[in-house]
Amino acid sequence: MIGPELAAFLEQGVGIHIGTRNNQLHPNGARAVAAKVEASGSQLVVYVAEIAAVRLRADLESNGQAAVVFGRPEDERSCQVKGVFVDSRSATDSERPMLQKQWDGYLRQLEMIGIPRVSATNWTTWPAVAIRLKVTTIFEQTPGPQAGAQIA
Amino acid sequence: MTVRLESLATCFQGLIPAQLFTCSSDGIPNAAYLSHVEYVDPEHVALSFQFFNKSRRNIAENPNALVFVPDPDTGQGWSLRLKYMRSETEGPLFDRMALRIEAIASYCGLKGIFKLRAADIYHVLSVDALPEARASESARMTQSKLDAVFTVKALQDLSARIQRADSLETLVDSILEGLEESFGFKNSYILIPTDQEGVLVTMATRGYATGSVGAEVRYGEGIGGMVAEARKPIRISGLLRGMLYALAMHKAASEPHLTRLARQIPVPGLSNPESQLGVPLLVRGELVGVLCLESEVPYRFHEEDKASIELLGGYLAIAIQNMQWQERAADSPGEAVPPANTTETVAASPNPGNVDGSNGRESHDEHELVYYGGDECILVDGEYLIRGLPAKILWRLLSIREATGREEFTNRELRLDKSLNLPEWKDNLESRLLLLRRRLEQKCPAVRLTPRCRGRFAIEVACPVTLNAQP
Repeated sequence: MIGPELAAFLEQGVGIHIGTRNNQLHPNGARAVAAKVEASGSQLVVYVAEIAAVRLRADLESNGQAAVVFGRPEDERSCQVKGVFVDSRSATDSERPMLQKQWDGYLRQLEMIGIPRVSATNWTTWPAVAIRLKVTTIFEQTPGPQAGAQIA
Repeated sequence: MTVRLESLATCFQGLIPAQLFTCSSDGIPNAAYLSHVEYVDPEHVALSFQFFNKSRRNIAENPNALVFVPDPDTGQGWSLRLKYMRSETEGPLFDRMALRIEAIASYCGLKGIFKLRAADIYHVLSVDALPEARASESARMTQSKLDAVFTVKALQDLSARIQRADSLETLVDSILEGLEESFGFKNSYILIPTDQEGVLVTMATRGYATGSVGAEVRYGEGIGGMVAEARKPIRISGLLRGMLYALAMHKAASEPHLTRLARQIPVPGLSNPESQLGVPLLVRGELVGVLCLESEVPYRFHEEDKASIELLGGYLAIAIQNMQWQERAADSPGEAVPPANTTETVAASPNPGNVDGSNGRESHDEHELVYYGGDECILVDGEYLIRGLPAKILWRLLSIREATGREEFTNRELRLDKSLNLPEWKDNLESRLLLLRRRLEQKCPAVRLTPRCRGRFAIEVACPVTLNAQP
């Protein structure tokens, strides 16, 4: 479902935010640290700092619906992946360099648009939770009339 | 509400992308980035509605929303729980949001392509700090060093400079100098209206390469033109991000390739502006000019700066208008003035020929000035010099000088000269002469307008000049 070109974009170190909803249809959300495409593009693992993931857990376990938006500040390219919760676990130490690499990429992106790295000094990225989603749909989200068009 | 919304004013600049979370009536969540969140009042914010996207459809079905906004000063992230209330398609809030979108699009040369459909108003139910995005004190310290200081002392310093100015020229220069030295704003310029409706011209600049005086800006074009058109201040933080957003939309809309309007003189501007602030200089509703400030720092103009500069703008407008009136009043009505258009029938006569203008001055150059009557435009040695009323004035002066040898002139005789067709009231002649003097200094220093005393000046020509009039 997620092709190689899109996977490279999602894993390059961009802004990532995951949204869920509770049973009263009130949205919840959290900033993610990194993402990884698995199972030949049919699954997406989203890494969220543990301190933020607690806000999502009840929603994911009760209804499982999730939406993940990716945005590259450099050129505003953006897309949204929607999916259904599969499972979650603590991120392992072996995954930490990958998380750090993507996070650094995102901070570099922010620097390119004039936001100093010092602003993110106290942003928490670790320990993290790996949230696995089964991808259901993908939407174009780059600003403009095509935003919202389904691409997969 | 755990935190007062008004204390988060710095978060609503659009410097760092905000995020909007919504949910459809059938329970599918949606996450999207926002161009910016607009503060409305202590209990409401507004989001721009430009396209019928999924977020907008969700809100129509389910009014609950969640927005994340970051504080650009500290890095602290805030979570705002919202409920959609209504949409506004006119009024001050709509105008303010539309103006911001237009200003950024206009800067990119894309004016008119992006339209705000509505300002969607949301009730803010709660504001909470995001624990994963905590404030950085070092970021706050770094930012505070950049803050302009609108202290009473700084305002007194600027006021003293303005009081010392004895001409329009020294006044406008003093204003820009004071903005840098007292407040730290290094890049600024002042635009004034021209005799052509809907067109402004750069009268004074500071912090840019020379050569921008005389640059024309149409109403609605760039931040200065937008301010003039709306007669409201515009502040844009994170201009680069706004431009990227505008360009992304433009690309997505598959519009023809981006083109910047060709200009005869480049408008002053930093190559990489991050923050811009434009303030209309208004006196009782009359636009005296526009003051524009720029910075390469993304979040240079804070809420307090905008309010202070706006207040200052009113004072500067009065000072400029008073100086224009004072200089005009100095034209003594009883003074004997050669009736220019009755005794000297030389206006724009075709090809008056070569003028030996050496006047005993050492000279090694020779210039050809061509006046295109249809365009009211003068070229010097093939390069654009000036157009409009200042061009007509220069051509008139040079023509009289060539025909009679006279070099001294008064503002009053120009006002009485029917060939120039100056309006009887508010002709802004002094501003036009100042603009002309500065353009000559830049492009043709051999021809100078030299003030003799108030209301009187000389045209000095330091080399042979050929005058060539064209239709």
